[in-house]
Amino acid sequence: MQMTADGRITSQKDTAKTASRDIYLPSERKTIAGGGTPHVVAKDFSIYYGEFEAVKKVNADVLSKYVTAIIGPSGCGKSTYLRAINRMNDLIPSCHTTGALLFDGEDIYGKFTDEVLLRKKIGMVFQKPNPFPKSIFDNIAYGPRLHGMNDRKQLAEIVERSLRKAALWDEVSDRLDKNALGLSGGQQQRLCVARTLAVEPEILLLDEPTSALDPKATAKIEDLIQELRGSYTIMIVTHNMQQASRVSDYTMFFYEGVLVEYAPTAQLFTNPKDRMTEDYITGRFS
Amino acid sequence: MNEEVRKESGRSGAFIISARKRKFQKIAKTAGESMLLLIASFVAIVVLFIFYFVAVDAIPYFQLRGFSEFFTSSNWYPAGEPGEFGALAIIYGSGMVTLGSTLLSVPMGIAAAICLSDILPFSVRQYAKPIIEMLAAIPSVAFGFFALVIFAPLLQTHGGPILMWVWWVLAAPFLLLAAIVIADLITAKIQDQNSRERMSKVLLAVFSVGALGFLYWVGSVLQGIEILTGTNALNVSIILSFMSLPTIVSVSEDALQAVGRDLREGSYALGATRAETIVKTILPAASSGIIAAVILGVMRALGETMVVWMASGNSSHIPDPWFNYLEAVRTLTATIAGDMGEADQVTGSARYHVLFAMGLLLLVISFFSNLVSERIVVRQRKILSGQ
Amino acid sequence: MNVGTRKILNRSFTAVGIGSIVVMGIALLIVIVPIIYNGVGAVFFTGTIEHRNMLYNEFGEGDEAELAKQNAAAGVYRKEVYAMLAGFEAELEAMESERQQEFRSKYGSVRNALTALMGPLPGDTGAMLTRFKYGQTRWEKAEEKLHEFLYEAKWDYSDPDAMAKEYYVSRAAEFEGTSLVKIFPYVEKHLEEIMRPEFTIYLGFLTDSSVDSHIFGGIWPEIQGTFFLAIGAMLFAFPLGVIAAVYFTEYAREGLFTSMLRSANSTLAGVPSIVFGLFGLAFFINTLGVSESKSVLAGSLTLAIMILPTIIRAAEEAILSVPRTYKEASLSLGSTKWNTIMTVILPAALPGIITGGVISLGRAAGETAPIIFTAAVSVGSAIGLADVFSSPTPALSWNIYNLASEHEAAAEIRHVQYGMVLALVGIVLLLNLSAILLRARISKKLKG
Repeated sequence: MQMTADGRITSQKDTAKTASRDIYLPSERKTIAGGGTPHVVAKDFSIYYGEFEAVKKVNADVLSKYVTAIIGPSGCGKSTYLRAINRMNDLIPSCHTTGALLFDGEDIYGKFTDEVLLRKKIGMVFQKPNPFPKSIFDNIAYGPRLHGMNDRKQLAEIVERSLRKAALWDEVSDRLDKNALGLSGGQQQRLCVARTLAVEPEILLLDEPTSALDPKATAKIEDLIQELRGSYTIMIVTHNMQQASRVSDYTMFFYEGVLVEYAPTAQLFTNPKDRMTEDYITGRFS
Repeated sequence: MNEEVRKESGRSGAFIISARKRKFQKIAKTAGESMLLLIASFVAIVVLFIFYFVAVDAIPYFQLRGFSEFFTSSNWYPAGEPGEFGALAIIYGSGMVTLGSTLLSVPMGIAAAICLSDILPFSVRQYAKPIIEMLAAIPSVAFGFFALVIFAPLLQTHGGPILMWVWWVLAAPFLLLAAIVIADLITAKIQDQNSRERMSKVLLAVFSVGALGFLYWVGSVLQGIEILTGTNALNVSIILSFMSLPTIVSVSEDALQAVGRDLREGSYALGATRAETIVKTILPAASSGIIAAVILGVMRALGETMVVWMASGNSSHIPDPWFNYLEAVRTLTATIAGDMGEADQVTGSARYHVLFAMGLLLLVISFFSNLVSERIVVRQRKILSGQ
Repeated sequence: MNVGTRKILNRSFTAVGIGSIVVMGIALLIVIVPIIYNGVGAVFFTGTIEHRNMLYNEFGEGDEAELAKQNAAAGVYRKEVYAMLAGFEAELEAMESERQQEFRSKYGSVRNALTALMGPLPGDTGAMLTRFKYGQTRWEKAEEKLHEFLYEAKWDYSDPDAMAKEYYVSRAAEFEGTSLVKIFPYVEKHLEEIMRPEFTIYLGFLTDSSVDSHIFGGIWPEIQGTFFLAIGAMLFAFPLGVIAAVYFTEYAREGLFTSMLRSANSTLAGVPSIVFGLFGLAFFINTLGVSESKSVLAGSLTLAIMILPTIIRAAEEAILSVPRTYKEASLSLGSTKWNTIMTVILPAALPGIITGGVISLGRAAGETAPIIFTAAVSVGSAIGLADVFSSPTPALSWNIYNLASEHEAAAEIRHVQYGMVLALVGIVLLLNLSAILLRARISKKLKG
């Protein structure tokens, strides 16, 4: 029940209910975009809210530079799991974890982890676009400034680069000094992506980034994810299974806190190994 | 295994810091939070200091003169040789103007709060709220000036007619309403529809005539009253009620808003009118919050200085008869403000310390009222959230 | 009860509710309107030549040549009056002693009334106080004094049960048969020529210092003192209050200690304002000795602890109303908690915090009781910024009380009192109004 360097991923359910099973990834997958090295590794990783175990003993490798989607019904723990990766759950006082969650081989919840440095490496985009009530420029420059960059020229470069990466530059280049709250919802969300990219993270966590957007804006975000694939390790939580199938390389299916199945996306959607996964993707429950 | 991963990724430990740095971070964090805590505790320290310093200057008075004179005598001659420090009449005066203002402000305040939370449409409410906020913002000395320079002469010259008009305007609608309700209640037993209506009309006419007679009689008695001094307990009570209204309105409105829509809808669904819904359902549910509002309003009136100092007449005696609001009175706050000017030259004397004793009395009363109102609010919140 | 009655009750209930709000509105108007109406009269009024003379002599304001021309024109009529007085004085000397005795005292009160109206007369000894150097500076006051000059007020005590009644006796009748009798119709007829009333805008009321304890001049020392005290209080209370609010909203763990701190906050909010005054006297002045006796510093400190709970509450509310998503976004970009508070949460909460601060500023400016023993003096000139640590100051709130209740000529300077009240109410209401507008703008902004 352990992940290995050659990309074999195991998922473990509560042993009392079902036997654990191994899923082998097809070998060609590993070689896409610079090799499939494990980037975020969970070992018997559980998350509790007080007494309640919200995520139960997850064992999984998330591969570097791939897009991994996390799906599952509401309250299955998928968002909790995502937010655990950059320790956003620290904001909830009753939240604590057991097991290990490794990023680049170091324990995210280790004694000597600095969550501020960690979050610099692991960026996050949230459900609702949440730009600061500042100018577009200041929004993007917020992160670099935090980390000690003050040179106006360099900042301007970073802002432009980030906005270009987020496919927003053409739309806003002439009004960088305008309040970001004046942008449309879709633009705001891409701005949030750009803002995250500006601190040059290695991992991008997307927590249902399109749930508050209209279909057109959603399509743009999905295009953006395609653009970014290969440069960043991306994890996206989504309610929308079409979206997961469109944008991701791998998909995790959570149910009641358990990682039920984790497989290449095409395989999981066409040929799910688990009955529960099949029921979910065919819409028998949600 | 970890080693392997680390080697492969080659960027390991970017977010790992040394033990020394960790320790330093922890110390900095603890130090920072302690600083914040210290500043946040400043308020608590100030409260303790206020109690301590007022008490320290109040105790010498009781050591010098004991308790009984202060609370039982109404001879207030602090400048005499020897001085007399009977504060009974002053305490009574404070109580009197506080009661007077409460009697005026509580019914009006609660009615206004109900109006704001349940009756007025949102668009009108937006304009009503600034009225209340402005009333709350006007400095007390401006109210005092109004009471002394405008209201007091008016009371003195046109007191009787003013009282009569106020009586008519306030009492006439209520008496008429009472006549309607009583006529209705008495005739409720009669079975036959026609005779019941006829009977009810007759009774209504009889009661109305009676009410009119009563109104006229009381009105003429009031008109005959001659007010000797405009700076009296009535003047101060009216002005204080203006000043405590905003507190009562805003706190009661919060309490009424806290009662959810479900309760209201449930009552309407049973066929209750709006008035019945509010009186029988909403008010009982919000009662503790409203009591807290009343306590805060009372404290506002009791603690007010400038209005009573300027417009209460500052005469240290118990009115005769005891409920005569048309006589001048003196209050604790006004005595502290007015006598300190002469007393603080002689810091060591009973004359100085007795003013602190009065301050301590006010402080203790305000402390306990505050405690009680806070408890009540917490309890209501618990009840409403169903715990 | 039958349905009709229930409906009537329901309507009357509504009427009572609306009625009480209307009563509050009327109460506000009844208090505010006379204050505004009379207060404006302190700046805009019909001023006499005495006002212009006073301004020129005491403040060096006005056009000298124009003033000399006016004085000359008024002098023509005044000389007539003086001549009549001189004529009567000669006549008085010639009278037999019994009649002389009788007229001398009556003449004395005539002279006094005339002095009050138009300033020192020839033969008056030099005035000790500035107030005796000039006649009436305001036209409506001049008309009042004219009445006092024409009629003598007497009291009727004939009915021992009722209050004494005032009645008036014409002075002209008293001097029937003497040469002085001409003076009364003359002054009445030529009052305008003697006093030369003109519509005046005296903006100096707000910027001049007072002359002879507010008989003349403006209220600048009070306005300045009020600003010093209020701003001083904010300097202490605002940073403390905001930091405490940050602690309560972002760091405090719910528990007994935190709830005790909160409880202390509401206790402090409920302490009567006069008790703050006592505490300020006993602690800041008598114990700490921040200053020898009353000072702006001691007053500001006292006001600061009074407004602290309000600021904390307002700041807490403002911080709690900042969307939590801002905090998440900032943290996820690798910001520390403290950095997030400083760069995202506080800036977003700032309008709300400032709204609370502005309202508290108004409260500090308007309070009287806490500064009676700690900072306020009734007479004084404006103090320099360097003196705030050691000297007391006049302040609007305290001087309104003082002028209205304790000034020896309180009834003569109602216009100054009204002007002060309007200045204070104006400052406080403007602050509140700007807070209300600010809040409206924020809620509009939050709605998008």
